[in-house]
Amino acid sequence: MAKAELKTKHKTEIEDSSSLKGTLASVFLLGFFIIITWVSVYYLFVERF
Amino acid sequence: MHMHKFEKIWLIFGVGCLIFFLTTVGVSAFYLGNKPPSCLTTVNPEKVDQTKPFDKPGLHKVEGKDWDYELVYVAQAFSYNPAQVKVPLGAKVRVIATTKDVVHGFEVAGTNINMMLEPGYVSEYTTTFDKAGEYLIVCNEYCGAGHHLMSSKIEVVE
Repeated sequence: MAKAELKTKHKTEIEDSSSLKGTLASVFLLGFFIIITWVSVYYLFVERF
Repeated sequence: MHMHKFEKIWLIFGVGCLIFFLTTVGVSAFYLGNKPPSCLTTVNPEKVDQTKPFDKPGLHKVEGKDWDYELVYVAQAFSYNPAQVKVPLGAKVRVIATTKDVVHGFEVAGTNINMMLEPGYVSEYTTTFDKAGEYLIVCNEYCGAGHHLMSSKIEVVE
């Protein structure tokens, strides 16, 4: 009885292979936001005398 | 070590951005020579009026230097000397400023000229006035009761 329970628990843990698509999207969203703000501030600095 | 493909992508992206930003700032600082507008020169704050170039505040044409004009400012509570100045358009100007009493700010609104003036130190900034117009100089360091009245004006004219 005890053995059988252990086996079933093991199986459910293994089958999980999560997708990182959402993480990738949010990382790039944040990345582009940082790039756009950085570039616009730097452009402001270069453009003014 | 196993690493997900996406993890490699965003690590390269992040590290790449960091390298790009720091390189840009580094080139700007060490190759183009952009640096804070201060402050290797000292002056006796009690003898500012007798010390060159602060004995003659205002715009002066100079020869044989990297810049065409020197714009000398003396700040004190609660005014700048000169109170108004005209600069020709396109002039390369060295702004030289100091204070006689307490810490003052020197911000030419809408430009990159933004310095802190400290008693005993000379703050300098070189720039080319390439946009005509009126520019307000304001004190942006709280210096006392009249702080909000402290201003001056630069007119860039053709």
